[in-house]
Amino acid sequence: MISETFALVVRDLKRWYRTPGQIILVFTTPLMWLLLFGQAFNIGKLAQGAPGVDIREVFGGATDYFSFMAVGQTTFIILFGSLFSGVSLIWDRKTGFLAKLQVAPIPRASIPISRMASTVVKALLQAVVVLVLAALFVFIPGLSGLKFSSDFGVLDALGIALFLILLGLSLAALFVALGLIVKSEETLFGLINLLNFPLMFTSSALIPIALMPDWLRAVANYNPLTFVVDGMRQLVFHTSIGAQYSVAADFLGISVFAALMVSLGAVLARKALLRT
Amino acid sequence: MSPENLVIRVQDLEKIFPGNVRAVDSVSFDVREGEIFGFLGPNGAGKTTTISILNTLMLPTGGGAEVLGYDVVNDAAKVRKGIGLVPQDLTSDEELTGRENVELQAKLYHMPSSESVKRIDELLLLVGLTDSQHRIVKTYSGGMKKRLEFATGLVHRPRILFLDEPTLGLDVQTRTSIWEHIRKLKSETNMTIFLTTHYLEEADGLCDRIAIIDHGKIIALDTPDGLKKAVGGDVIEIEVAECGMDIVEMIKAIPRVSLLEGKCTGGKARVKVPDSNAALPLILEGFWNKKIPVLNVSVKKPSLDQAFLEYTGRELRDEDKGNGNKLASPAPRRGRFRRK
Repeated sequence: MISETFALVVRDLKRWYRTPGQIILVFTTPLMWLLLFGQAFNIGKLAQGAPGVDIREVFGGATDYFSFMAVGQTTFIILFGSLFSGVSLIWDRKTGFLAKLQVAPIPRASIPISRMASTVVKALLQAVVVLVLAALFVFIPGLSGLKFSSDFGVLDALGIALFLILLGLSLAALFVALGLIVKSEETLFGLINLLNFPLMFTSSALIPIALMPDWLRAVANYNPLTFVVDGMRQLVFHTSIGAQYSVAADFLGISVFAALMVSLGAVLARKALLRT
Repeated sequence: MSPENLVIRVQDLEKIFPGNVRAVDSVSFDVREGEIFGFLGPNGAGKTTTISILNTLMLPTGGGAEVLGYDVVNDAAKVRKGIGLVPQDLTSDEELTGRENVELQAKLYHMPSSESVKRIDELLLLVGLTDSQHRIVKTYSGGMKKRLEFATGLVHRPRILFLDEPTLGLDVQTRTSIWEHIRKLKSETNMTIFLTTHYLEEADGLCDRIAIIDHGKIIALDTPDGLKKAVGGDVIEIEVAECGMDIVEMIKAIPRVSLLEGKCTGGKARVKVPDSNAALPLILEGFWNKKIPVLNVSVKKPSLDQAFLEYTGRELRDEDKGNGNKLASPAPRRGRFRRK
């Protein structure tokens, strides 16, 4: 089980790093977010100088909007990577590669598990690179960078990785399964678009929950992305000022979501891989 | 043939797809160890569906099949270990090198790398890809990709190799080289090969036995020669300058020549005999005895094309132009053949 899964993960990663165009593209979108949205949409300025306002209360512990959104947008990298994880399976079905795997004496589960694992590895690498780039923005004249807390340590970094991995696994579990069920890219793209924007904009990734209308806040409080960004911000800025939940509660929230999605994905993938 | 030597046993196999499409309609046959068994039929005849069931990719809706002694429905895992598949499509990963594709397959079949390195070297040599093994498959020609599929399908030394339309869409040169590889495999390894094709030439040249399948049913199963013989023998055409009698009647009168069919137009007779090699000298001798000079003689041996036409009542074409009646009774056109 482990050796076949590993071999299939290596195959996926080779396909990825051998397509430089794809790698450049995956970094372009997050950098656009950071530059165009993070730098231009600096709503922190609006509140600057207002007496008695601790801006960190609004920005989840960050002292500026860019730092706030730079942490938030890492969830989008995971989101996009995971939502598109099933697309390659549709291609594998079309080329017959999937059938070849189904004829091989490997546990069926290694097919979706390997795809989930490679998706998470790719997305996590991208997210880490983009976080580091966001911090390095400070060296570009005229730009502000992501300000990590001076107490930021290895454990915090591992915690961030864990949050991102759990988010990646939950969404990849569902979309890998959908990639096995759905036979055309068009249908899958439709499903991706259906989930993409609502998940992004009903979370606290880009917009502080404090600024949301009540109904949206009610949704955002239970959006799995909110658990992840809320926990990550506390780890990056080392403060619970402006946090929705405790780190432990965030962790519990995303873990429950991951458990639900992986179970759902397992049921769907199993059904999709059964012979008919 | 003892049952131990039967590596594939298929009994009343049936696959009905939703919409009541009978892709495979109570098919029964056995494949012996070490033979090249061909499944010949037009597109849509049920060849790929049958192969998919034997390969444990699909479940039958009726009947059963055993591969290497294991039931394809209940013992799929054991079946998978012993078989290799070279699918109809090019299924290699285009972004990997040729060698990496074969290596991946070796890993999926749990071959220790100590063993697989040597094996992969051998196979790449066999299919002539040693020089291009480190190139990305995207850069391969269609023929190279197909040869790579062979190496991939063979890496784990399967006891049965399934070849689904092995030369579909390939140019003549590549097709010939693929045929050579298949013959080499058979002579060197005693591997059982199950192939589907809609090329008569391919089935004729490669297979020990051929099952003709049409509309989901096997309508004939025999050696290529046996199938051709069933068409009714060789056609001999004899032209004479002049004679005062019916030539066909004359040939009929020759002792030990059995005539299946004959007609005469002017000075030219067209007769059908079971075996022209034996009959022709006798016929010529008959003419010689009657002092009738023979101007021209030609012999036409039956082709598998004719056999196919006889059995299915139509030419082997890609498109399915048959009608529902044929499904119910695939009656040979001239009604001379017994179905096997």
